Amino acid sequence: MFSRVSRSKTSPTTTANTTPPSVTRPVRWALLLGCWFVFLAGCASIPEHVRQLPGQAQPIELSNTPFFPQERFQCGPAALATVLVSSGAEVAVVDLVDKVYLPGRGGSLQVELLAATRTAGRIPYLIDGTLDSLYAELRSGRPVLVLQNLGVTLLPRWHYAVVVGIDPSAGTVMLRSGTDKRRLTPMRTFLNTWRRSDYWAMVTLRPGEFPAEVERSRYLAALAAFEQAGQHTGTIALWQAARRRWPAEPLVLFGLANAHYADGDYPAAETVLSELLAQNEDNAIARNNLAMTLIKQGDFAGALQQVEHALAIVTDANIKAELLATRSLATAGLEHTTRD
Amino acid sequence: MSNGFRLNVVRIVSVALVSMGCMQASYAGIVSTQAAIDAETRAATLSKLEAVLIQDAVGQQLQAFGVDADHVSQRLQGMTTAELVNLENRIGSEIAGGDALAVIGTVFLVLLILELVGVTDVFKSL
Repeated sequence: MFSRVSRSKTSPTTTANTTPPSVTRPVRWALLLGCWFVFLAGCASIPEHVRQLPGQAQPIELSNTPFFPQERFQCGPAALATVLVSSGAEVAVVDLVDKVYLPGRGGSLQVELLAATRTAGRIPYLIDGTLDSLYAELRSGRPVLVLQNLGVTLLPRWHYAVVVGIDPSAGTVMLRSGTDKRRLTPMRTFLNTWRRSDYWAMVTLRPGEFPAEVERSRYLAALAAFEQAGQHTGTIALWQAARRRWPAEPLVLFGLANAHYADGDYPAAETVLSELLAQNEDNAIARNNLAMTLIKQGDFAGALQQVEHALAIVTDANIKAELLATRSLATAGLEHTTRD
Repeated sequence: MSNGFRLNVVRIVSVALVSMGCMQASYAGIVSTQAAIDAETRAATLSKLEAVLIQDAVGQQLQAFGVDADHVSQRLQGMTTAELVNLENRIGSEIAGGDALAVIGTVFLVLLILELVGVTDVFKSL
């Protein structure tokens, strides 16, 4: 559109007879220049690693992906419902409106989409912003929620849509978008609109499910955040699945122990934490939690021992506060038992 | 502003209270996996009290942007502490994805402005 505008500007007929050249010509040239910059910004090159697909990539389309046409301003709830229902969650667009639509902004914030995914019982995971990663998710049967800027940087039109297919040979991307059930967007246009959101793309995983290309620390952070959102039972299975994948990862052991603790299985939590501390005895947080599992089992002296060890090495002020609190609890328990 | 100031005062006082040891026993518990990650990545590690306060602050800001009071706690529930810290005072400036349909409006507006200043000539030809 902007290229056409600038071309029409060069046509002598429009300039000659509409306005006196003395005042408006510089203004017009400034505008023309502005348009040109906008145009250039629109074609800023997409890095090779973002647009490259595997050599023999076949067309793929998840035709069974549900479609929820959006109401005005509500592409967020509609797109989120699309991916959540695809991953087997039972949600309705109307309920998601109450969870992610922000009336004062006429739209939905990314962080609220993440939060609503968690409360719907799915793990939001941000995949790498490349066509290759999109393609890999589609091949695993997962549609991908993306954030696009359909406008330009100066006049943004932020929009959520769901990628359901890629046709490498035709150079198109298939989307559930707005009120279009199957929107075909040229690859280049899609990449341009996606680039402006810094290639933001999210999948919603079932508990225990891994993304096609998993990055360990990102995945574990996603698990912990999911767990924090609460309401979920069965997080033990979730951490056990992570453990099968990364058997020696300290954070996995820590998370598994916490899941056992939350489940009331203190001996199991103790076993896992001891394993973790055998790897690294200076893990003050793990010692605090071990002390808590001992308190729960009535071993106050053992708990005190753990806390004292941890207090000698702790640096973080908030962790120290936790340890002091645990110590008071252990001390109180010890006094209580000796008095009896 | 005064709200933010008050929040800061409350935070400082509550941190002081906690570190004085007055409220320790009631806060004893395990360190959550999320808190452990925050501590490890040096992200915002907040005391439990601070976390509650920031949740209140963001909740009020959500209401200021038109969220029904009944839905606030449910919306906050899924957010991590780090996400809450990032969101505080930024609800008005974060990207809000909304509408594909309004694109036509924007394009129209740009064309209209360009038309009015004489850069384009699309409408007169109609």
